[in-house]
Amino acid sequence: MSDATLDDNGKLVIELGFDLLDRQITDKDGLMSGKVDDVELTVPRQGDPPVVTALLAGPGVLAHRSHTAFGRWIESFRLRLNAIDPSPARISFGVVRRVGAAIEITVSRDELDVMSSERWAGRIVTRIPGS
Amino acid sequence: MRASDILGLVVRDADGQEVGQVHDIRLVRDAPIQGTFGLGYRVTGLVVGAAGIGVRLGFDRGAVRGPWILKRLFAWLHSDSRFVPWEQIDALADDELRLKAKMEALEPVRPLPR
Repeated sequence: MSDATLDDNGKLVIELGFDLLDRQITDKDGLMSGKVDDVELTVPRQGDPPVVTALLAGPGVLAHRSHTAFGRWIESFRLRLNAIDPSPARISFGVVRRVGAAIEITVSRDELDVMSSERWAGRIVTRIPGS
Repeated sequence: MRASDILGLVVRDADGQEVGQVHDIRLVRDAPIQGTFGLGYRVTGLVVGAAGIGVRLGFDRGAVRGPWILKRLFAWLHSDSRFVPWEQIDALADDELRLKAKMEALEPVRPLPR
């Protein structure tokens, strides 16, 4: 990050909501691969502070984040659609190359679960006469 | 655990007094190495305050340029924000977060300069 902020010990400091959430994800070819809808935090050992382990993306994740009745309805609607995998699209933080204005990752978007909704919609659309 | 499970939670101090809501989660890059990214991000604490508007716009950050009147307004709105070190969290429930410390012991948030 060119606009890096360092703490008193010279370590890079960011804010999760401001610097990660809702950022565009771009794959190894620079193609848009969804947005960061939530972030997975894992506690490595009991009593330790959590660490960032994955980025979560997709409509179901965003619905969970909204904490509203409409969000819960969207989440349950997705669960009823057997054609869509109900588990969140998870991008391991280990494949992140750079955190900046966009989140750059080192894999192709075709390898990501985040594109499953788009692929599912594409299959439906191609069946519509004239498409 | 997801970040959204923490963001927006009501925070209460050791006496049950409301401190505010969780506006953001502060991270430092010194966690164990994660794949190609290298050193990972560890949670150091929470930004907690009464006013949430403007936090995601960055107007509370020192070096963010913008209309001076908005910067003044958001600086005033966030003047009561507190930084809660992760170690001060006592219990995390579905709708609120209880601290070990009293509100008076919490330090004001030092805005990130950018």
